[in-house]
Amino acid sequence: MPIPALRIRNLRKVYRSGNVAVDDLSLSVEEGDFYGFLGPNGAGKSTTIHCITGIAEPTSGTIEIFGLDAVKNYREARRLVGLCPQEFNVDPFASPQQIVDWMGGYFGMGAAERKARVDYLMERFDLTAHRRKQFRELSGGLKRRVVLARALVHDPRLIILDEPTAGVDVELRRVLWRYLAEINQDGRTILLTSHYLEEVERLCRDIAIVDKGRIVRQGSKAEMTGRPGGLEMAYLAATGAEADHVPGQ
Amino acid sequence: MFPANRTAPMGVNWIGLSTMVRREVTRMARVPIQAFIAPWISALLFIFIFGFVVGGRIAGIGGRPYLEFVLPGIVMMNIVNAAFLQSSSAIYFARFIKFIEETLVAPLSYAEMIAGHLSVVVLRATVTGIGIMAMGLFFGATHVESWPLFLFWIVSVSAVFGLAGIVVGLWSQSFEQLNMPVVFFLTPLSMVGGVFNTVDMLPEWLRWLAWGNPFFYFINGLRGAMIGVDETPAGLAVGLTLILLAALALLTWRLFSKGYGLRE
Repeated sequence: MPIPALRIRNLRKVYRSGNVAVDDLSLSVEEGDFYGFLGPNGAGKSTTIHCITGIAEPTSGTIEIFGLDAVKNYREARRLVGLCPQEFNVDPFASPQQIVDWMGGYFGMGAAERKARVDYLMERFDLTAHRRKQFRELSGGLKRRVVLARALVHDPRLIILDEPTAGVDVELRRVLWRYLAEINQDGRTILLTSHYLEEVERLCRDIAIVDKGRIVRQGSKAEMTGRPGGLEMAYLAATGAEADHVPGQ
Repeated sequence: MFPANRTAPMGVNWIGLSTMVRREVTRMARVPIQAFIAPWISALLFIFIFGFVVGGRIAGIGGRPYLEFVLPGIVMMNIVNAAFLQSSSAIYFARFIKFIEETLVAPLSYAEMIAGHLSVVVLRATVTGIGIMAMGLFFGATHVESWPLFLFWIVSVSAVFGLAGIVVGLWSQSFEQLNMPVVFFLTPLSMVGGVFNTVDMLPEWLRWLAWGNPFFYFINGLRGAMIGVDETPAGLAVGLTLILLAALALLTWRLFSKGYGLRE
């Protein structure tokens, strides 16, 4: 049986405040999948991602990345993951080139390999003209491109994107969609969280909906969108939210 | 395609470690006035006022001119400050802006993270010390009797305060807390730790202030290496410093492995 790219078993995360952010969450993402991870704000999506990537400590449960325990074998496991976080967790005085280059260095890439990869990503995300500016001087869209390039610098096998298109213009969204579809076709596994359902519907093959720290529904895109109302109705039904009644519709 | 050996166990991540050093050096280079010019000006004023102007009217100590006696203390005081401020501000700033997450998601061991910070601490402390020694040379007061001991004191004391700075950087929840140790401990203890005087110059009832003060041992250790004047029993200062270094290294490693101040 093939080893899944990501396997989470009974993950629970309780913060020091006592807030239970993730409660007995289990999921499995096959290698090469494009997996949508949906849920309302505060549902536990980012906390789950933080537990996978080492930003948060799981309270209990296990996380395996390509069969490697994300806590016990954290160094080997992290080498395989690239994270594009929701927030801009970046040194604001550093330049895009430095930010991406340093990340490549942390992942053990040699100078020549790093340079080639940084040049490629600057070009690919239209950052070449801005590569030496300070991060704080960039527009929101450019900042988003930088954190994306940083997540991809070491060519990870599992790419985790936490709302990567939040607040970006249509052009970048399309550039990103094309790029993600391309690297997914090349074999990279992608876990995507987004509030844009059309984005998930367009890109993902499998979808999980999380609410109050638990998976409330999961399945293939076909299963989720096959019923009347499509993914939106499936999402609203799973999270218990009321659908808006738009006058005239 | 993906390199086949990516899931193989990792050895030391030397490139990751050197990247941490490169990054912190870049950050330090952004604030040269704060990192180097300020301590050098402050040291120059100390050397000029206490060593040259006032010291000219004070008889030598241990057969050495007063300026030569004072210089090791001034060097040590600035090394301590440089080491502590480097690591505490690096850690706290990275936590505050959250870019510390870049290292948390990377395949870096806790020892590599700590070593990366300490390397820059020692670099900054050494450059600060060299600048002050150069000033002392201008006043004809710089001597080094034992280079191995001199290097031991520069590296070990900067590592001690670099580690202490990391702990404080992890603990602090505000810039106010970050500055507390400097205001309440480092500055007062270094001032009364024998920079300007010997223990004999203190009233007998106040001498505990020197013997119970770790700075007294650091300053005397460096003074012994530079001019051969050391008031502490032989080996005691080295032993205490090594014990302190080991205890702080263990504490820092423990805090990193627990994720204290780093992970949610």
